[in-house]
Amino acid sequence: MKYHITVLLTVIAACTGSAWAKLNVVTTLADYAAIAREIGGDHVEITSMAKPTEDPHFVDARPSFVVKLRAADILIEGGAELEVGWLPPLLQTARNSKLETGAVGRVQASEGIRLLDVPATLSRAAGDVHASGNPHFMIDPIIAKAVAAHIARAFAAADPANAAVYVTNEKKFETTIDAKLQEWGKALLPFRGQHLAAYHDDWLYFARRFGFEVDVFLEPKPGVPPSPKHLAEVIGQIKAAHIKAILVEPFHNRKIAEKVASSTGAHVVDGAQYPEALPNTATYVQLIDVLVARLTTALKN
Amino acid sequence: MWDVMMWPIVACLLLPGLLVYLGMHVVRRGIIFVDIAMAQMASLGVCFAVMKHMDLDSPLTFWISLGFTLLAAALFAFTGKRTGEVPQEAIIGIAYVVAAAASVILLSYSTEGDEQIKNMLIGNILLVTKQEIYRTLALFVGVGVFHWFARKRFMMLSFAPEEAVAIGVSVKLWDFLFYATFGLVVTSFVQIVGVLLVFTYLIVPAVCGILTARRFGVRLAIGVALSLVGGVTGLMVSFYQDLPSGAAIVCVFGVLLVLAGIVSIFVKGEPRSVDA
Repeated sequence: MKYHITVLLTVIAACTGSAWAKLNVVTTLADYAAIAREIGGDHVEITSMAKPTEDPHFVDARPSFVVKLRAADILIEGGAELEVGWLPPLLQTARNSKLETGAVGRVQASEGIRLLDVPATLSRAAGDVHASGNPHFMIDPIIAKAVAAHIARAFAAADPANAAVYVTNEKKFETTIDAKLQEWGKALLPFRGQHLAAYHDDWLYFARRFGFEVDVFLEPKPGVPPSPKHLAEVIGQIKAAHIKAILVEPFHNRKIAEKVASSTGAHVVDGAQYPEALPNTATYVQLIDVLVARLTTALKN
Repeated sequence: MWDVMMWPIVACLLLPGLLVYLGMHVVRRGIIFVDIAMAQMASLGVCFAVMKHMDLDSPLTFWISLGFTLLAAALFAFTGKRTGEVPQEAIIGIAYVVAAAASVILLSYSTEGDEQIKNMLIGNILLVTKQEIYRTLALFVGVGVFHWFARKRFMMLSFAPEEAVAIGVSVKLWDFLFYATFGLVVTSFVQIVGVLLVFTYLIVPAVCGILTARRFGVRLAIGVALSLVGGVTGLMVSFYQDLPSGAAIVCVFGVLLVLAGIVSIFVKGEPRSVDA
């Protein structure tokens, strides 16, 4: 009996001890969480606020988000206004000085990344809410590598004792992506230059990386529901450009894509930008694997 | 728990009282959806300002939004015939759908993502700040004082309108004042707690009070007490079960209403009438 209690106490001590030493990391979105997990391994405790299938523009705040943000050593967010609708009030409520803009604990993934589609002028009149450019950059694996390096630097700065681990893991991620890029590039090579349609304008970086043009959108403007006249135009464009695939995400209205698909002969491709939003996509690499496979299947037809 | 839930709890203790009182009027007048219609008119004002390229937090946007709210108040006051074949709730419902649809159309003219706008219009009780509570409380105290001094008029118009007409009260003017103050309260409360909670705080405590008591004062006291219990309980549930706070509070109020209904079976005796 005494032995059991001693063992139990030791186990508890070991558990709490290691948990104590772990870096508390909160990410806004599931893609940052997946990469942070690869870099941090057992040395970090990661919470993603948005679910992978949730629209990153609109996330419902829950009390645990505030609790987690209070206890966090590091916050990883996009920094490009994708989460502007819900992150600032959460941070204001959490009041954690470690996560202030410019602090070591605040990782803004877009830092140092050249964003595309930056509006020419920054007034609301010209174009506005995403003033810093299209914020859906993580879907480009080369940008994901840069963000992984950024995350590794932040982890190393916050937890110097394990810096070597973070550097090694980051190199491993980089090597995997480099190898996979060959594979993905080869799979998609036959379709280079093809045009694709999408529900929302968030495939820009993916398209640029693999040589597609995603230039027909079911939404007339980002965040605005399709109007009948716009859908009629989209159907015309899809037919004219012989577009074969319409990319939609779990939180989009799939019925609209199906309607367009049925009157054009294009295929609806269920895509996602966040690991675990589709089956068998626990990691970032698996997510791109699945996207490449689904696109290849749709475009072959 | 305390450090996360303190300001939401403070908000749930300080602010709902006035809403419960106004709710008694709203239920009596049978204009249940007037709050949602007014909140939608205020947000239509914001959408209009955005379309005209104004900043969301600029004073002008606020004044435009207030102007739309007063417009709605005038509309409801002047169409609010207490007899006739078209019930006022129909006008209110129409105002709501048209304002909602017009907002969608206006937003489609604004250039990009509208998440900031939606976020500004619909608050979240979990994220309420000290400053927001102070500001809203100051407004509520102001409106409350006005309603206290004008209580006889407002009570008469809600509970005995024929009498008001008979003694020559300017019904349209006082109705306008009622809707205007009501609109101020509702739109400022929506911005910090969201539409679901505003509706709940207005209607559920008032209905619970009506179910379980006869005198206006007792009904109001029961309503206020339930609003405090429901709000704090809802926040606790939200914290311990990690649920969205507004939705948790609304569901707790649903349970409270069922309990009030059960209680009403036992306290029922003489037919209930209103002693204003």
